[in-house]
Amino acid sequence: MSTQSAPHKKRKTDLFPYLMCLPALILFVLFVLAPFFTGLYTSFFRWDGFDTMKWVGLDNYKFSLSDDIFWLSLKNTLVFAICVTIVKNIVALALAFVLSKSFIGRTVFRTGIYLPVTLSYIVIGILWVWIFNPTFGLLNELLRLAGLENLILGWLSDPDIALYTVVAVDSWKWIGYHMVLYLAGLQAIPQSLYEAADIDGAGPLTKLFRVTIPQLNSTIVVNVVMSMTGAFVANYDIVYIMTDGGPFHSTEVALTHIMTTAYKYSALGKANAMSIILFAIVLIFGFAQLKMMARDDNYNN
Amino acid sequence: MKKSLTMKQRRILSAVFWGIILTVMFLICVYPIIWMFLGSLKTSGEFYTNIWGLPDTAQFVNYLNAWNEGQLGQKFINSLIVTGGSLLILIPVNCCAAYAIARLRFRHRTAIYFLLLLGIMIPSGVLGIPTFTVAMKLGLLNSHFGLMLIYAAQSISMGIFIMRSFFISLPKELEEAAMIDGCSRFGGFVRVILPLTKPGIMTQVIFNGLTIWNEYFMANIILTKPELKTLPLALANFTGKHSTDYPTLFAALAIATIPVVVTFILAQKSFIQGISAGSVKG
Repeated sequence: MSTQSAPHKKRKTDLFPYLMCLPALILFVLFVLAPFFTGLYTSFFRWDGFDTMKWVGLDNYKFSLSDDIFWLSLKNTLVFAICVTIVKNIVALALAFVLSKSFIGRTVFRTGIYLPVTLSYIVIGILWVWIFNPTFGLLNELLRLAGLENLILGWLSDPDIALYTVVAVDSWKWIGYHMVLYLAGLQAIPQSLYEAADIDGAGPLTKLFRVTIPQLNSTIVVNVVMSMTGAFVANYDIVYIMTDGGPFHSTEVALTHIMTTAYKYSALGKANAMSIILFAIVLIFGFAQLKMMARDDNYNN
Repeated sequence: MKKSLTMKQRRILSAVFWGIILTVMFLICVYPIIWMFLGSLKTSGEFYTNIWGLPDTAQFVNYLNAWNEGQLGQKFINSLIVTGGSLLILIPVNCCAAYAIARLRFRHRTAIYFLLLLGIMIPSGVLGIPTFTVAMKLGLLNSHFGLMLIYAAQSISMGIFIMRSFFISLPKELEEAAMIDGCSRFGGFVRVILPLTKPGIMTQVIFNGLTIWNEYFMANIILTKPELKTLPLALANFTGKHSTDYPTLFAALAIATIPVVVTFILAQKSFIQGISAGSVKG
């Protein structure tokens, strides 16, 4: 009996697994893949979003690449991403080291430093614009009280400084997040490695560079890649609300420029061409992240 | 003898040094948020003259004004609907797909998994404008449901990745046991397997709930009618309209922040575990 029904069963495809995947596939195709290819497709047209589209070949890409503001915005995006990645990771790692030791009040510190992660960019942006306010802001008031008047700067009005001010605020939001990831990484290092190092008579610095950092390698890679991609393609909200790209495009990042091109100038084709160029730039980081996630030892179990 | 003393001194010195660093960082992170709450309780005059201090008498009326003027009640409900609705869509969708990919054998399983993971490489930032076009064609502009579907779709890659690792870690015999007890395959999944992945589901609820509650970029593209807007959109509008009435603006910021801060403090452990669960694997 069973030998007869077995081949029959095998020929009939079992639909259950496919049905389970179907909703995810539909949503993913409709709202991730379709927009992506729509963006790619419309980048070859001149289009204001409503009227008929006019094929222009690679013109939008040519226009984008000869647009000085676009180049400036790419440069700013890169500077933003690199600064933010360095600040977030170094500060978060240092804090994680301190918080990995047990002492009274540890949870309070961890909770407090994590708190900004939960706030919306819009709330954070409005709040910090006010903190940086030249006359009534908290920061300049603090500097005045400390007798450091010469450090008072036009935090958001000076084109040489504004971008770094936004970097500071974005770092402020995310340091707690990376700190928690580093803490988890540190706690996963087997204690026996440190004991072995102690037996070998290793000092604290040797332990740091020979045990901790190598063991933390994959955590560091995850954090760096995540802060890098985040800074490239998730910086619209914070820049928009704090400076909207100003003063004089000094904080213009790729996304704010793309949104201005799309909504103020109704040049959707060009905006999409710029999006695709930005996508190509972040692809390397996205690919790195995908590879890390796919490298999963227990996949075939 | 002398050496051990300096060692001890050095240790105390380093403890003091790191203690100071930690305290300063803690204040930098927390004080602006406290300052926001203090500012929201001041009068307009106090706000400019008494930058540091506590408000003379707490002006709770600012909250009432913010709530009424910005129609924050409506926006608050909109945010709740969009966040709740998105979670109700994305949790079952991600769980079903992740379960199939983790525990069932079928053709193209790996291909489907990697296709769904591709979302990691396509950040929502570059999808903004074309998503507007797609949503327009599907008649989903100015629709909370449309925004929910978009949020759900954007959660898929990460959600399936996280849930899959939870499903894989469960013992293999569970399905058989469920079947023997008379469960259908789907029934076994819902009644036996799913309850065991509660931490994974919590991770998704917290991570996506927070992201969606705070989301501005996509919501701004999809929702243009004032009565449909979510809290972050209302707050961004508020700055333009009320540039002089800062205490009221700060009250509005506080109203948007209180739910997340309270949830975070209550569910801290799940937050921290959830955040770490998704990314330490790499």
